[in-house]
Amino acid sequence: MSRSASSALSRRQRGAAAVFIAPFLILFLATTIVPVGYAVWLSLYSEQTSGLGFGGAETVFVGLDNFTRALGSESFRDGFVTVGLYCAVYIPVMIGAALLLALLLDSAYARAKRFFQLALYLPNVIPGLIAATIWFYLYTPGLSPVVDVFESLGLGWDINSYGAALGAIANIAIWQHTGYNVIIFFAALQAIPREVIEAATVDGAGAVRTALKVKAPLIRGALVLAVLFTVIGAMQLFTEPQIIRTESAAIGGEWTPAMFIYTAVAERHDYGQAAAASIIFAVVLGAASFVVTRFTSRRAA
Amino acid sequence: MKARSMKAAAALAGAMVSMALVATGCSSADTPADKPAVTEITFWSWLRASQEVVDAFNKTHTDVQVKFEQVPGGPDGYGKFANAVKAGNAPDVMTAEYYMLPDMVSQGQLQDLTGSAGELVRSKFPAPVQSLVTLGGKTWSVPLDAGAMVMFYRKDLFDKYGIAVPKTWDEFRTAAERVKAANPKARIADWVKDDPSLLTSLSWQGGAKWFSVQGDAWKVDLSGGETSKVAAYWQDMLDKDLVAVVSPDEKTQKQKNSELLVTLTGAWGAGGLRGGLPDQAGKWASAPLPHWGTPASAMMGGSSFGVAKTSTKTEAALKFITWMNTTPEGIQARLSSGASSTLPAIPELAEVAKKNFDTAFFGGQDLYAVAGESAAAIVPGWTWGPAMGSTNAALREGYAQVGAGKAKLADVLGTAQGRTVDDLKSRGINVAQ
Repeated sequence: MSRSASSALSRRQRGAAAVFIAPFLILFLATTIVPVGYAVWLSLYSEQTSGLGFGGAETVFVGLDNFTRALGSESFRDGFVTVGLYCAVYIPVMIGAALLLALLLDSAYARAKRFFQLALYLPNVIPGLIAATIWFYLYTPGLSPVVDVFESLGLGWDINSYGAALGAIANIAIWQHTGYNVIIFFAALQAIPREVIEAATVDGAGAVRTALKVKAPLIRGALVLAVLFTVIGAMQLFTEPQIIRTESAAIGGEWTPAMFIYTAVAERHDYGQAAAASIIFAVVLGAASFVVTRFTSRRAA
Repeated sequence: MKARSMKAAAALAGAMVSMALVATGCSSADTPADKPAVTEITFWSWLRASQEVVDAFNKTHTDVQVKFEQVPGGPDGYGKFANAVKAGNAPDVMTAEYYMLPDMVSQGQLQDLTGSAGELVRSKFPAPVQSLVTLGGKTWSVPLDAGAMVMFYRKDLFDKYGIAVPKTWDEFRTAAERVKAANPKARIADWVKDDPSLLTSLSWQGGAKWFSVQGDAWKVDLSGGETSKVAAYWQDMLDKDLVAVVSPDEKTQKQKNSELLVTLTGAWGAGGLRGGLPDQAGKWASAPLPHWGTPASAMMGGSSFGVAKTSTKTEAALKFITWMNTTPEGIQARLSSGASSTLPAIPELAEVAKKNFDTAFFGGQDLYAVAGESAAAIVPGWTWGPAMGSTNAALREGYAQVGAGKAKLADVLGTAQGRTVDDLKSRGINVAQ
């Protein structure tokens, strides 16, 4: 093939590629890159006034000042601790429960599989806001049968304590997301070749042993992905505490990083700091997902 | 992954860009100067009977037409406005309670109205109200009402329990003890968990001055002697379980169950009681706010109207505001629906208000006499700070802890002081030590 023919072909191919890529690229630029760039730009500026503050405000370049102010804020840093503790409670319980339920559904003894799949998935259909509102009532003393049961058993339930608030919010998330992951894990379990399971049975493994030693390791890929998505979702915790907040004194307006950012905009109208905090938050999220991926893939190797 | 999370980080930025684009598209509709055209303005408020006021204005005016948009009160409404000003799609006329006005001005959200409305404010309004809308020597908004505090109380229950209506705070505490003894489920008053306005207004009544100007700097004093006295009183009431710690919903519920005898609020509160508790008609009455020895009062709430920085229709906006706040027709439109019981800041208009607000719910009592007396007794010299958004956010969070028995009022006030000063400094505002 001559050189000119090949370059003409590749030019044509390149043209076709551009046409196919363009829609994505334009949307990606407009909805992701440009806003991120704008957030970075915003984070370098601050509204400054002077004297008594009535002379009007002007936007001035403050360099990294917004970043140091955000990092210097105790409530912003505490937010990361809160989210970390929340993940530590929520993720093992939720993934563990989802895996257990999926293995039970997949076992040869399970009955009414379709019904249970649907029933388990149902909470996930309810929007987070509605779920939080329902649970809000279930956590309110005087309204809630749940609190009454706790109290009649002599167990204290003080939604105003930090631990109880964290548990209450983790509970909402567990309730809501377990079913979804059951479905994912169940689908992965169904994809395991039946010969492998038969082989385990022939070798004398019981149902429990087959589940834990054969099936569970074979769906590691699905587990890793579920953990990764859950970590990223969990760290952006916002809706549930924002609703439960009116009931619990333990939850302030800056309880999680996402709430800190919201408060910076909605209450302090400090757009620069909100943008800076958002960027810090995004970097931490990126780092966290990187760590989760590395950690789990190294274990797998 | 990273791109996905960054998207969340910059959602705000994206929204603002698109809103700005929309706004520039809308605001370029200039009307030709040679023929008289209708100027349309938008108006944001959460005050009761705003729709009625706007309807009445639109019916009687041909050159200016107002489009009313209901927004939530409190931090949500002010936050919405702040964002709208940034985005360039703010309404022309915005409601600004006195406590929030300095914050809005210092953030550059409102127009300086000195040239267009300064004379109106100077000539029509009493000095204490003028000073609330005159900041840094400039006029920023036109006052509507005085927000003078009164005590609404359940006359029938005080009679039933044989308790005298308290005139001083000492009597109030005694009455509180007797209410609790008479009905263990009832309390004299409520403590709304996350509402900072009550203690602020009662500190004002007690002689405190949270904010004052010293030369070119703000002095912030949220924990001075007068405030401490008021805070200690309420801390004691809370410790002894003499007031009901409630959410706003629970408050209404308790009022419906006749388990709250008193509500301490602005004169505008009568409309809310009447609308919210129709079954209790004839059972409520109004009395002056209890005091510390000599009759004194303060404001709670109280609203004015400003023009957004971004508005290009200042003249039309002011025409509407002037009609709404300073004419008998405007006041009549607000009060005749019965939803609002505002006490107009202009003394002559109190008569109009009185004539138009049906007080059958209060057994025909002259509410405006009580409110007027309270307005005259407001402790002078109170100034609202330029970062009340932050101050109130800190107080709101702290009071929630106090309501749960996890913090003391004195500590909360100290924390709020710190957060206020930090916020002022971060905005470049001078703070006197």
